[in-house]
Amino acid sequence: MSSLLEIKNLKIFYPQKSRTIIRRKFGKPAVDEVSFILDEGEVLGIVGESGCGKSTLAKAIKGIIKFNNPYVKVTGEINFQEGINCRKDVQIIFQDPYSSLNPRHTLKTIIEEPLLYNTTFSKAEREKKISEIMEKVGLSSAKLNSYPHEFSGGQRQRIGIARALITNPKIIIADEPVSALDVSIQAQILNLLNEVRKEFNLSMIFIAHNLPVVEYISDRVIIMYEGKIVESGKTDKVIGNPVHKYTKELISSVPEYEGKKL
Amino acid sequence: MKSNINIENNSPKSLFAKRLRKFKSFKRGYYSLIIIISLYILSWFLPVFVGRNALIVKYEGEYYFPLFNYYESSVFNQEISGEANYRLLKKQFEKETSPGFVVLPIIPYGPEENLLDELNETPPVRPSSAHWFGTDDRGRDVLSRIAYGFRISITFALIVAIFSFTVGLFTGALLGYYGGWFDIIGQRFIELWSTLPFLYLMIILSSLLSPNVFVLAVMLTLFSWMGITYYVRGEFYREKSKDYALSAYSAGASDLKIIFKHLLPNSLTPVISFAPFAVVGNISALVSLDFLGFGVPPPTPSWGQLISQGMNNISNWWLVLFPLGCVFLTLIAIVFIGESLREAFNPKGNENE
Repeated sequence: MSSLLEIKNLKIFYPQKSRTIIRRKFGKPAVDEVSFILDEGEVLGIVGESGCGKSTLAKAIKGIIKFNNPYVKVTGEINFQEGINCRKDVQIIFQDPYSSLNPRHTLKTIIEEPLLYNTTFSKAEREKKISEIMEKVGLSSAKLNSYPHEFSGGQRQRIGIARALITNPKIIIADEPVSALDVSIQAQILNLLNEVRKEFNLSMIFIAHNLPVVEYISDRVIIMYEGKIVESGKTDKVIGNPVHKYTKELISSVPEYEGKKL
Repeated sequence: MKSNINIENNSPKSLFAKRLRKFKSFKRGYYSLIIIISLYILSWFLPVFVGRNALIVKYEGEYYFPLFNYYESSVFNQEISGEANYRLLKKQFEKETSPGFVVLPIIPYGPEENLLDELNETPPVRPSSAHWFGTDDRGRDVLSRIAYGFRISITFALIVAIFSFTVGLFTGALLGYYGGWFDIIGQRFIELWSTLPFLYLMIILSSLLSPNVFVLAVMLTLFSWMGITYYVRGEFYREKSKDYALSAYSAGASDLKIIFKHLLPNSLTPVISFAPFAVVGNISALVSLDFLGFGVPPPTPSWGQLISQGMNNISNWWLVLFPLGCVFLTLIAIVFIGESLREAFNPKGNENE
């Protein structure tokens, strides 16, 4: 089978706040019985409203969900294709370009970090790689010693993309990469993502709450509602012929301009 | 190309540079910092300005440097026992007009030196041109004792601050980073430890150990590391929930790397703004212990002992005024530094710049 990633019956529970700290109770799962596959070279869009478990799903796939809450319970299976090293070959682009870059590190330190832990490159090789990647995402190499606060939101997201690409990953998880950006910048970042994924032959899981954005970039789309997958299929099929009530709502909520859907 | 980069480097870039610039704009704190630091640096060369040993002696055609070497009084044909007395030697030279000279420090009295033989009246002696701040009831020069006491006080306070911040930072970092049960139990332990009555335990410990400055610093550290843990723990909780920590984790950074490379540099604000106040607290702690007689062993010059002398000789105003005045001025200067640092590191005042 050529699928890079297969998820079976994934369920994720957050511990509920309870009066006793001794027994932890789990309530309704944040992600409920989610199963899907990701094929090679494919862009899978995941759409859903805020709080429907999209980001939780993304963090679970990357295996970092327990970092901030060690008591999260995860059941089900997340299987990568053989030969995929989750730490090196799966990279994540975070939603907020402001908090996802360490304010005290220079660009070089930020972009270099994944290389330090996952490869055995020498210093010169790393520097070469960094300047290549910088150029690819449209940043000047002269800025390598600058700090993140000197950049705009869109540029910061480019840094985030550079950091994700530096290890030559096979899968990119983009967790709402454009939702924190100005509309005018969103298109630039989307185009950049589209370019790099063609160039590097990447598979991508693209998460958003905004249907047009997903429509633009993804081959297949999954609609999530309250932790469950309510609809999935080829993008144009799902959008052209929505079945679930929530999907219809999503489509009708896209603003129109002079009779054209945006 | 090259010049382009240089131009960019000139603007204050890092947050720290920005804050430093802001700190400099608070004149009161900035000048206090300069004064305290230069006095402290000078205090390490104190024997040049204040002390019983002459800087240079020329005696019978030979040069001597008593600052660095010990000379028996017999070397200079003095009829006293022990170390040579260079003030007497100077007087001798003046009388005999012999071809020699002595260069003395500005204040030619040691902090532990008993001057009973040279004083014409019974101590305590009031301020005069010879003894600017007078002498105490054992005939020791007060100015000399205050000067050496300054060095001991600041050194002690810095050592305790460094020790207790190291311990507190590390503990707070671990509590905030790992959270959960570890945090709950750790915090309860800190709360219990904080309720130990510090002064009584210090008195008991010092009567058992008869400590020197270093042991005293370690003992005080035992009771002063807790305060900073609360702040560092809180900072760590907040910083850990930011995405940059998560992204470091997802890149494969180890816990230690995340703690020390990512979170700690972003959690230092409370440490920096609390440091001056911790120093103030430590100076006061040493003064109170010395005042009670449980601090550094006599005859080490210390401010607390001077103040307790002042209390015993309350009618001799110079024994009260000068030590208290020096403690007051030092503490207030450091408080000014702390105030300005806190203001400069205030995140709300900083962003608009």
